[in-house]
Parts: sequence; C-alpha cells; structure tokens
Amino acid sequence: MFKYLRFSVVVVALAVSGIVPAGPLGIGSTATPEMIAGWDIDIRPDGVGLPPGQGSVAEGELLYEAKCASCHGLFGEGEGRWPVLAGGEGTLDTLHPEKTVGSYWPYASTLWDYIYRAMPYTAPQSLSNEEVYSIAAYVLYLNDIVEEDFVSNKETFTQVKMPNEENFFIDNRPDVQNGRCFENCADPSTFKIVTTINGVTPTGHFKEDSGVAANHYEGNPSAASGSELRIEKSVTKVALSKEALLGRGVYDKACQTCHNSGIAGAPKLGDVSGWVDRIGQGMDTLNDHAINGYQGADGVMPAKGGNMALSDDDVVNAVAYMVEASR
Amino acid sequence: MSSIRIKAKERNGSVDVKTLMKHNMETGLRKKKDGSKIPEHWITDVTAESGGKVVFVAAFNTSISKDPYLAFKFAGKKGDSLTISWKDNKGKTDSAETIVK
Repeated sequence: MFKYLRFSVVVVALAVSGIVPAGPLGIGSTATPEMIAGWDIDIRPDGVGLPPGQGSVAEGELLYEAKCASCHGLFGEGEGRWPVLAGGEGTLDTLHPEKTVGSYWPYASTLWDYIYRAMPYTAPQSLSNEEVYSIAAYVLYLNDIVEEDFVSNKETFTQVKMPNEENFFIDNRPDVQNGRCFENCADPSTFKIVTTINGVTPTGHFKEDSGVAANHYEGNPSAASGSELRIEKSVTKVALSKEALLGRGVYDKACQTCHNSGIAGAPKLGDVSGWVDRIGQGMDTLNDHAINGYQGADGVMPAKGGNMALSDDDVVNAVAYMVEASR
Repeated sequence: MSSIRIKAKERNGSVDVKTLMKHNMETGLRKKKDGSKIPEHWITDVTAESGGKVVFVAAFNTSISKDPYLAFKFAGKKGDSLTISWKDNKGKTDSAETIVK
C-alpha cells in the first residue's frame, strides 16, 4: 500500500511539472548543461575548474572577520574546539599533530574548493567566486604562505606552493586481497608474525605468548623498523613474484574488466586451459601483444587494454600476474 | 614576515586591540624523547606604544601558552599608530606596527 501511494505521488508530480518522461521506466528527464554546471563545482589540485574572478588579502580580511572569525578565530587560531587554520608547522610527526592549512593542506586550489563548497558552516555555497578568492587568499596570508599584496585569481592560485605538498604521495603498493581458502590452507596456529606495520597494525592487544616478537609491543621504538607483514606458512599455495604482486593492482584497475569475465574473447584469470597455449608462446610474445595490441582468431587485445595511461612496466607486471595466477 | 599580527579598531574613543604573537613559549620543563630537557624559551615582556606613549605592558612567564593571544583596550582614535613589541629570555625581540582603524 505504501509503495503504491508513493508511486502515485510521483505520477502526480510529473503531471503537474509537465516534464516529459524518458527512458525505459518512463520517468526522469535528460539533464541540461545548466543543470550539470550546478553540480560540476569541483576544483582539481592542478587548478582545473577554478572560475574567473579575483580577490585580495585586504578584502579577504574584512570577509574573514565577518563570516569566518567567529569559529576559526581572528588569526586562524580557532575559537573553542573549532578548527585551527594557521600555525602547527612541524607538529605533524609529534604526539599532538596540529593539522592546519599551513602545516597540512596539500594544494591551494582544493582550499578554494573546500571554502566554496562547505563554508560558512551555517550557509554553505553562499559565497561568490570573488569572495572565495579573497577569503582563501587571507587564509593563506594567515599562514605566511602569501604576502599581504597577493592578488588571488585563477593564475596565481595554481602557482601557490603549499608547505606540506611534498609529503603527499601516491601509494603504489599493490592492493591487499582477502581471498578465501578452501583447500590446502595454511594452519593459523603455525603463523608467525615476523613484523608489523608500525603505527598501522594495532599491537597493544598482543599477548606475550602469541608468537609476536617482544619488540612489537606498544611503546617500543625498535618496532619502527618494520614496514610489511609477512606470514610464514607451512603450506604455500601459489607464491606470486614481486612483479606479479605489483601487477595485481594494475589488473584490478585496468585488465579485469575483460579478463575477469572473458569479454571480447579475453582469456579469463585463473582459466588454466585457456592460458596454457598462450603461455607456451613465451612471455616476450605475451608482453608484446599486451603492450602493442593483438588481433587473434578468438578475440582482440587492444594495446595496453585500451588504457594508454599505463606504462609498459605496468602492463608487463599485469601480464606476469595473470600468467602466474593462471598456471 | 613579522611574528606579530595586530588588529586594532576604535569605537567611542576606545581602541580595541587584538594581537597574536607566534612564539614557541617553551617552559623548559618539557623533555625530548631521549630524556633531555628542551631549553626554555619564552617571551618575558610585551610592550604596546601609541604615538610615542606606552599604552600597555605585560610581563609574561612560562604559564602563557604557545603563540600567545592578547586583547586589551586603550584610549585612542582612528588613525593612531600602534606598535607592539616583545622580548624573550634569549634576548630576541620583534615588533610590528599598524594603524588603528
């Protein structure tokens, strides 16, 4: 009954608004460019998306005092428990890190995005482009990142270098899979944790007889040496090479679209009979076909799977992963 | 860039001053991880002058927080100059000047 009621409300709403229903369900309408522009407000780290307009530190100071200072403090010091915007340099690796625009924020352009999108807290997206340019400039000024005479616009904003930008990097470690094992599985009682990821793996609950080396208990500075979790198994199923482990991440991002389901005649991952003849041609042939593309009797392999953003090494690693997982 | 930021605004003959000084204000009681003490380093005196006349003085000690924030009032008018300066226990000084709005 409830569903029926709701459906009838939709029908009435459509009839009143006069929108022509579209698509197989007969509801909704195609978004106009104006509608899309209303949603498309993101600013990328490289500054793509920054609108025209201009602001200054002096104008930003007045706006900041009127709209921001009641929470963030006159000097960005933060009122009460509201976010601190300035200071905190050099505290990120201490016991009480203070994350501010100056000490933490990676790009000036995304500061613009954040202010425009979410501030002021009580009235988000109420600021004009010029107001955001001015306020963002003043926040940068509070952090001594720009000088008092800084004129902020699309060009100058992409040139601002944030102090902490270098400490952000792309984590290229392969994804971790939590695959289920049904046969020939390792016996958990034989696991021996050799090392833990310092600061990530919780170690406080480890007991003294759990097989964890004593230097992994909380508070022991020597635990900082470890950067990976290795499990020594008594039964090893398939050990992937280093290249294959790197390739697994590439596979998950690019190759699995076809090689998981067999679209376009692609040999499926783990399909031993489908791979055996191909592996027989040698790795060089496989790598060549994967990088440069290949038209075979069964199907087609686009060059780099159609993802030209991949490097040759990425593709070679992904091939290694698929071959090792399909033997 | 100066370590002192000042905002001074006049209303009804009284200037409302707010200032923030960037300073570590180490008490000398904190210890590093290896157990050695972090040497004390804190602001001892703060002075505010307007038109050659001292309008405010403060004697700080180790109970004042890092990056001290200070607010006070004095009798003055729009367009007056205001200079705030500090001196710390290592003899370092800094000062900043602004015009009352």
